[in-house]
Amino acid sequence: MTAFMGIPYNTLVVAAAVAAVGFAAGVVGCFGVLRRRALAGDAASHATLAGVVAAFLVTGRRDLPTLLAGAFVAAVASLGCLVLIRRSTRTRDDAATALVLSVSFGVGIALLSGLSARGIPGAGGLEQFLLGHTAALTAADAVTLAVVSLVVVLVVCAGLKEATLVSFDPAFAAASGWPVGLIDYALVALVAAMVVAGLPAAGAVLVTALVVIPPVAARQWTDRVPTMLVLAGAIGCAAALGGVVASALVPRLATGPTIVLVAAALFVVSACFAPERGWLARCVRPER
Amino acid sequence: MPAPAVAACPAVEFHDVTVAYGRRPVLWNIDLVIQAPGLFGILGPNGAGKSTLLKAALGLVPLAGGRITLFGRPLAEVRRRIGYVPQRETVDWDFPVNVMDVVLMGTYAGLGWFRRPGAAERERARAALERVGLADLADRQIGRLSGGQQQRVFLARALAQNADLYFLDEPMAGVDARSQERIFRVLDDLRREGRLVVVVHHDLRSAADWFDGAALVDMRLVAAGPAAAVLTPENLRRTYAGHIDVLDELGRAVERGGRTA
Repeated sequence: MTAFMGIPYNTLVVAAAVAAVGFAAGVVGCFGVLRRRALAGDAASHATLAGVVAAFLVTGRRDLPTLLAGAFVAAVASLGCLVLIRRSTRTRDDAATALVLSVSFGVGIALLSGLSARGIPGAGGLEQFLLGHTAALTAADAVTLAVVSLVVVLVVCAGLKEATLVSFDPAFAAASGWPVGLIDYALVALVAAMVVAGLPAAGAVLVTALVVIPPVAARQWTDRVPTMLVLAGAIGCAAALGGVVASALVPRLATGPTIVLVAAALFVVSACFAPERGWLARCVRPER
Repeated sequence: MPAPAVAACPAVEFHDVTVAYGRRPVLWNIDLVIQAPGLFGILGPNGAGKSTLLKAALGLVPLAGGRITLFGRPLAEVRRRIGYVPQRETVDWDFPVNVMDVVLMGTYAGLGWFRRPGAAERERARAALERVGLADLADRQIGRLSGGQQQRVFLARALAQNADLYFLDEPMAGVDARSQERIFRVLDDLRREGRLVVVVHHDLRSAADWFDGAALVDMRLVAAGPAAAVLTPENLRRTYAGHIDVLDELGRAVERGGRTA
């Protein structure tokens, strides 16, 4: 089993895994968007670069699980900083987010350029986490990513009722005894997990697109949360696959930008042609 | 119906409650006892802390001092007997849920973690929708309802909670006359069934008509008791002192209050 219809086995496994990542990212991203936390995910994704480089510096290893563990720690730490800044300095949400995003990304870039300036052996290739490059993934890496995606989707399915309640009306949820803070943290952790899992494919700069664009596009087509989750998953899946195929066909093409472009195209189609909310439908029927 | 042993305790008891947002106190030394059953209005000018009073009772804001008991117990022990209708503007009405989805949320606490609503919960939700007159809109997206209909969806969700004590935050704000009448009738029925309904309300004119008990709040408790005894010209003047804009409304309210008494 080395090839299927002329496509190398490794490429197939990677494509399947990245498709799974795209699906899961679209699904959890829905709650990030519905809870109006899309920008927090952006800050977390930019922070992952520092986590990847730091993980390499600390452990001296450059296998994917190690690097992504570092990325996850950095993502969670950046979200922690965000909460801390908001609570302790009365800085508004958007300003705090921009602050955390730029500083954490700056740290990542500084670490990365410091690394390459000193020519530390084995550091080459870390810059691929900037824009994403799936060609470098091994089949074992791909399986890890697929498993993470599967777990995330299963958790969201199990907690669909709780997540929807807290996203729609946190005050009512709290008043009827639900631990709103805990559910919120769980949702943020799930989004962070998918940002990290999407890192090899989309890169630190663009991976938020995977958790934001598919949900926003999916929202155009439906008025129900479960349908929105499935559609966002499908759109994320299509975008991720498009990115993988393009970078498999075009040597040295980064995957991240391609993924974003496919997702953006699907968003434009949704925004224009969705039956109720689409631009065309609203032109024809202006009363809404 | 509440069990007789519990009914002996006041449904709501505030003991010297103070609430502050940061260093700014919003409620000072509130002592308030409300007995079930009843339809109880909390009135006062804007920024008087009326909503905060409800949120304190529901455990949504921390107390800077004092304590609150519901049915003689701490909130955590009786949470399932409490229903809540938040202010309408606090949620995003463009959220992708329909009317039935929202009303079903009233059954979630009883279901517990991870269990989905089944036929029994749907039946309860449908009955609640029937009661507020929205049974035929169950499948409609919530953004496509009028303000009054949205408020009635929130009320139906609270009815699906099947509580003994209800807290409603400004349920008549931005609501058409027909919905207002409907909502007040449902609340009145809840009282008849032996429950206590506590309503933060802004309209002095309708207050004396509907509420049997009332509290006037302006950061401190100005007066509390039977509506007729509380909504007196003197008390209203003390509560709304400095709020010129309501003087006109005050005149009409006093006139109406006198008639009801």
